[in-house]
Amino acid sequence: MIKYLIFIISMVLSWQAAAIQITIKNTKDEPMANAVVWLTAKNTSEVIIAPDAPYAMSQKNREFTPRILVVPQNAKVEFPNADSIMHHVYSFSKAKTFELKLYKEQPKAPLVFEQTGVVELGCNIHDWMLGYIVVVDSTIFAITDITGKVDLAAPLGEYTLNVWHSGFGDISNVESETVIVNSAPLTYKIKQTITEQIDFATDEFDDY
Amino acid sequence: MITNNLLKLTLLYCIVFFSGALSAQVKGLIQVRAVQGDDTLSFQEGGIGLYRHDAKSDELILSQGIIDFNVDLASSWSAHGVLNINQDPDVALGLTQAYIKYQPLSNSNYKWHVRVGGFYPLMSLENPDIGWTSPYNYTNSAINSWIGEELRTVGVEVTVKRPAKRFNSAHGFSVIGATFKGNDPAGTLLAWRGFALHDRQTTFNEGVRFAPIAALNESQLRWQANQVLPFEEVDGRFGYYVGMHWDYLKQSQFRIYYYDNNGDPTKLNISSGQYAWDTRFTSAAWLYKLNKKTRLIAQVLSGKTEMGYNALIDNTYYSHYLMMSHKEGKHRVSLRYDYFKVTDNDTTVFDPNGSHGEGLTATWRYQLSEKLQVGVEGATLKSVVENRAEIGFKQSISQQQVMLNMQWKL
Repeated sequence: MIKYLIFIISMVLSWQAAAIQITIKNTKDEPMANAVVWLTAKNTSEVIIAPDAPYAMSQKNREFTPRILVVPQNAKVEFPNADSIMHHVYSFSKAKTFELKLYKEQPKAPLVFEQTGVVELGCNIHDWMLGYIVVVDSTIFAITDITGKVDLAAPLGEYTLNVWHSGFGDISNVESETVIVNSAPLTYKIKQTITEQIDFATDEFDDY
Repeated sequence: MITNNLLKLTLLYCIVFFSGALSAQVKGLIQVRAVQGDDTLSFQEGGIGLYRHDAKSDELILSQGIIDFNVDLASSWSAHGVLNINQDPDVALGLTQAYIKYQPLSNSNYKWHVRVGGFYPLMSLENPDIGWTSPYNYTNSAINSWIGEELRTVGVEVTVKRPAKRFNSAHGFSVIGATFKGNDPAGTLLAWRGFALHDRQTTFNEGVRFAPIAALNESQLRWQANQVLPFEEVDGRFGYYVGMHWDYLKQSQFRIYYYDNNGDPTKLNISSGQYAWDTRFTSAAWLYKLNKKTRLIAQVLSGKTEMGYNALIDNTYYSHYLMMSHKEGKHRVSLRYDYFKVTDNDTTVFDPNGSHGEGLTATWRYQLSEKLQVGVEGATLKSVVENRAEIGFKQSISQQQVMLNMQWKL
């Protein structure tokens, strides 16, 4: 009976979702934009159910848009090409190895990303194109804004906070720590130095 | 000739037909031009004029008719071709490029690809648009007018790339090497006409005319035709080129090439009237984006060519251009200065090859819609060519040309 009550109470508690703000900072204590943040619940065998609607990793003006896409495990991702030229998108990453020749007029069926991990995307024709699909075992995720913040909604409880940035020395390496989610804001400081991403001034005549 | 064109039309039809079935992209460009040409007859008509057009072309002409296709054959293999239709000097259909590209996907940060067939060495930064056309001026620089008319690689080219992004570096490098057959008569036009300024690319099966210069009446040059078939194989030897591209943030792009067709100057094809010329040169091109709207493009070409026994013809040539192009919304304005010179170093008195000149080309283009563009270009040049005197012309002439263009991209 008591066990039953505890179960009920814990169920009710777990339905109490908290809005939580997490700030990610770099080693110099500066806010870090474009970091992928996700929470995985501890002590749960919850199965991640990816939404039915596919996510999209577009190619526009010879760049991946968005540059970083976070999806839950088993999500479908389509690769619409908005450019009038072909893209030859590929990945050699362990989490998903594939290649797709993509034309504006001939969209290809979405791919399913069954394995968690970081998928690095390239284009065999436009070698400056670089994009990432981060496949996570969670549905609670976001990318930090310019102030290094994300707003997440998660049931109260104990979680693993995971952080990834494309400037990590080893991009398959995720930083994580155990956190308790209540309404209090959290701050996480990255342990490694980040390699700055270099921006390129490309235009329509640069693939010649 | 008619069967030849019919064959090509069939080929074209097949390409368009199968492009639906295979994965392919087919792009087209149609450019129509109204010209206020110069009185001096164009070299294309056998005159001494250095522009593509002359007073005879004061009518509407099709200046570019291009179908550029790219067919996927397999994951790493693709076929590329550029088909051109021209109405000047004669109506003709032909290919300016046709090659197979092998570009394997590689897990390595270094990338490489191979081209086999007929193509341009990528020396120029002026001609990145469809079918090797320029998005800047309508009339190409002296250097790229010459490359478009007398230079083409029919062979194998290997490129190894160190893409900047893959190394998270500001600097990207490519190293290029190629070997080829054909292209033995390259250099002919520089000797007997000098550099010219135009956008008429020579297709693989075409010849380019030049004025009936007096030296060709001499017995030593009696076999030379009054046209050049620039891509012909005469001596059976392989030529080569090597190049390097260096990009800094894609803001600065630098390309340097050394080209040597390795022609045997003593060889001659009597039936086609073509000599092998030993033509070598270095080309350096630089593009610099001052900002998102304004860019500077410059190129320098310097080389040497030799033909005949005992250096019957021995010339050096040099050209450079400097172009500034500014894009403001739907407008693009491009201004270019060209300098060109051929120096005659041999002792063959009856065949003076010296020439020099300079030109100014100003172009305004306006993008009416995604596919439709109009533009105006005014150009002026001054040229001195020594061999004009023997055929009754003034050595020094100046020419002006104004044109209105309308182009559709399909």
